[in-house]
Amino acid sequence: MLELRDITAGYERRRPVVEGASLILRPGESLGLLGPSGCGKSTLARVAALLHRPDRGTVTVDGRTATGFRHRAPRSLRTAVGVVFQQPRLAADPRMRLRDLVAEPLRATGRRAEAAAAVAGLAERVGLGADLLDRRPHEVSDGQLQRACLARALVLRPRWLVCDEMTAMLDASTTAALVGVVEEYRADTGAGLLAVGHDPVLLRRWCDRTAHWKEITGPP
Amino acid sequence: MADPLTAPAWRPARGRRGRRPGRRASGLRLWVCAAVLAAAVLAVLLVPPLVRLDQQAVDLSARLLPPSPAHPFGTDDLGRDLLLRCVHGLRVSLLTGVVAALAATVVGTAVGAAAAALGGWTDRLAMRVVDGFASVPPLLLGVFAVALFRPGVWPVVVSVALTHWLSTARIVRAEVLSLKSRPFVDAAVSGGASRWRVTVRHLVPGVLPQAGLAAVLMVPHAVWHESALSFLGLGLPAHQASLGGLVQAGRGSLLAGAWWPTLFPGLFLIVPTLAVAGLAAAWRERLDPRRRSELIP
Amino acid sequence: MTDAAPALDVRGLSVRFRMPGGRYVAAVSDASFRLAPGSCLALVGESGCGKSVLASALLGLLPGNADTAGSAVLPDGLDLLGAGEAVLARTVRGRRIGLVPQSPAAHLTPVRTIRSHLEEAVRELAHPSASAAARGRRAAREAVRAAAERAAERAAFPASHLDRYPHELSGGLAQRAATALALIGDAPLLLADEPTTGLDRELVHRTVDELRAHTRDAGRALLMITHDLAAAHRIADTVAVMYAGRIVETSPADAFFGRPGPRHPYARGLLDALPERAFVPIPGAPPELGALPPGCAFAARCPDADARCRTELPAPASGVACHHA
Repeated sequence: MLELRDITAGYERRRPVVEGASLILRPGESLGLLGPSGCGKSTLARVAALLHRPDRGTVTVDGRTATGFRHRAPRSLRTAVGVVFQQPRLAADPRMRLRDLVAEPLRATGRRAEAAAAVAGLAERVGLGADLLDRRPHEVSDGQLQRACLARALVLRPRWLVCDEMTAMLDASTTAALVGVVEEYRADTGAGLLAVGHDPVLLRRWCDRTAHWKEITGPP
Repeated sequence: MADPLTAPAWRPARGRRGRRPGRRASGLRLWVCAAVLAAAVLAVLLVPPLVRLDQQAVDLSARLLPPSPAHPFGTDDLGRDLLLRCVHGLRVSLLTGVVAALAATVVGTAVGAAAAALGGWTDRLAMRVVDGFASVPPLLLGVFAVALFRPGVWPVVVSVALTHWLSTARIVRAEVLSLKSRPFVDAAVSGGASRWRVTVRHLVPGVLPQAGLAAVLMVPHAVWHESALSFLGLGLPAHQASLGGLVQAGRGSLLAGAWWPTLFPGLFLIVPTLAVAGLAAAWRERLDPRRRSELIP
Repeated sequence: MTDAAPALDVRGLSVRFRMPGGRYVAAVSDASFRLAPGSCLALVGESGCGKSVLASALLGLLPGNADTAGSAVLPDGLDLLGAGEAVLARTVRGRRIGLVPQSPAAHLTPVRTIRSHLEEAVRELAHPSASAAARGRRAAREAVRAAAERAAERAAFPASHLDRYPHELSGGLAQRAATALALIGDAPLLLADEPTTGLDRELVHRTVDELRAHTRDAGRALLMITHDLAAAHRIADTVAVMYAGRIVETSPADAFFGRPGPRHPYARGLLDALPERAFVPIPGAPPELGALPPGCAFAARCPDADARCRTELPAPASGVACHHA
């Protein structure tokens, strides 16, 4: 289970962006969270990925309640949730070749030896050619870079995936391709998915169920 | 409808053409500065070992000779050849300047990056220390640092480093703070990277170009700081000719109508430092994102 | 073909970038289209296919390492590709072509209010003060102020928000402010570069409907560059599909999105990838613009490709560049 209970979060004191948001994801379930731009859904996505400490509320991943966020969260809990962001340009370290970008989580967790094989397999899976892996982010298109970012999110085989407007910058074909990759991964591993977005047509097609922002926030 | 099989008639894009001369001028400046600096470095590296003349050789029969073919820069009040003294002085000044700038950059980058990466109390404490140092006039702080030791090269290096790491620490901290809020850092954290790894792999490499630029810009400052100390008689011992010491020594001869013992060391101080500053300006232009983004859509 | 002089007539427009080592990147190849007054052309394609480069070429905003070929002619005969910077700056941008930018919040100066943006544009472009100036500076200022308010009203920007700064506006209002700015010069041609990226669906619909009102009803022409097919469907009279720097299909929007549907296999694939349709991606990846194949650029991904497709570039015929259309 991925459980967010009564989350209030923001970036300034007394000006919360998210107020009293709660949602529960069962193992293997996919939930599409719909909301207008600027409503705070990206902040909630960061909280769900243990990347932002909420002012109030708890996050529980597979029965373990997070006691800290970002670096204070235990590594095994942090890496249980993979995350893909809206803008691949900002989500990729501009100095790294795509190969290193995808392998970085393995190296960071001391699994350097698996990197070469894992990167090759994932590149194939997300549709990145071998020649693209040796380029840096400014040498590839948005779509190609987002493919690499998705591969990076999957390389540690997380049990949960948070996709924050993953396809907002992409054309129809790349959108369909990346959604296909996510669904293939979920079919293989039984991972759960929280997809945040503003396109009801896409999220209804993609996810088991969708919820509107208004339904999950406010007084419980 | 144009026929796709015929080769198109290419012409350079109009519109922004007006910007090109500026770019060419900046290229020229880059080359002139690089050439001047290369000449200075070569002279400093090659002249002392190759020319087996003693810059200390005192010849009281040749005191304060004006520039001539035998002594292109003339001689000083002890009859020493000024060209040789200037080259040796430049060597000492550049060496202290470069080493001090490097030391200041390493310290400043480490403090700035650590403060921004750790945040909280560490950050506040580090920045108060920086403010504390910055509140003391730099030359006073430098004089104080030199006064603690016996005259020599290392006290001067310490003095320069102590007064110059502050700006680098501030620049690096600001850059790291802005990088820290980018999603790619979020992605690294989510991928299990430790605080140390995020700092060393993702944050510091991102600020190195800025820190490097700050280091290059610091070299002229460091050279001038050393010269100021030597001019005050607090720098290097008299037998180690530094440019500041030479200007100071030549000052006495000005009243005797001898301009060359002041002018030539002064030029040796000004021209290479301007060249370094010019190089730094060209580097900064390269860092400008507007120029970097023009490669390809 | 319409009889009226087109608001923009682009013929054989090509852009290439000179790269280090004598290589070339062919960003746009031989693009041709005509845009009639009062109509809207949506240029669709994936990111990196060259559509933004085409927009930059029309506005004279290409970087120094670009070469162009072909022509892009305005009704009065001015060729945008041959015009110098001075002509473009003084008589084209804002006056004959209005630009609706991709991210309006970034397009506005953060330290100035929307009113100050609008008034500056009015002073530069509209000169309402010429007659008022005779009646003194105060009257001239009043005229500028009134014109700025009218401009805001035209783009449905609420007068109550005129004194706000860009960061105080929602995405939709920032988009309206940018549209108001683009409309001030009363340019007969609007160029919208990805105006809906990052906006939510309702906002996309509203932005697109407003742009449409400013074009069709006001007799302006609109060139909209987008990767959002739903937005293109809502606004366009004509759809041009770009792939690897070439316009591979130009079709009336009704036929393209309805029946008989797109004729080029790439365009068919793009539509089939929509979540409301088959939601199936086109297999493979687009070719590098620096190393285009000799034949059809889509051949490697195309289900219908044969030997001829791989060796011979299909010439556009009745709006489609495909050997099998």
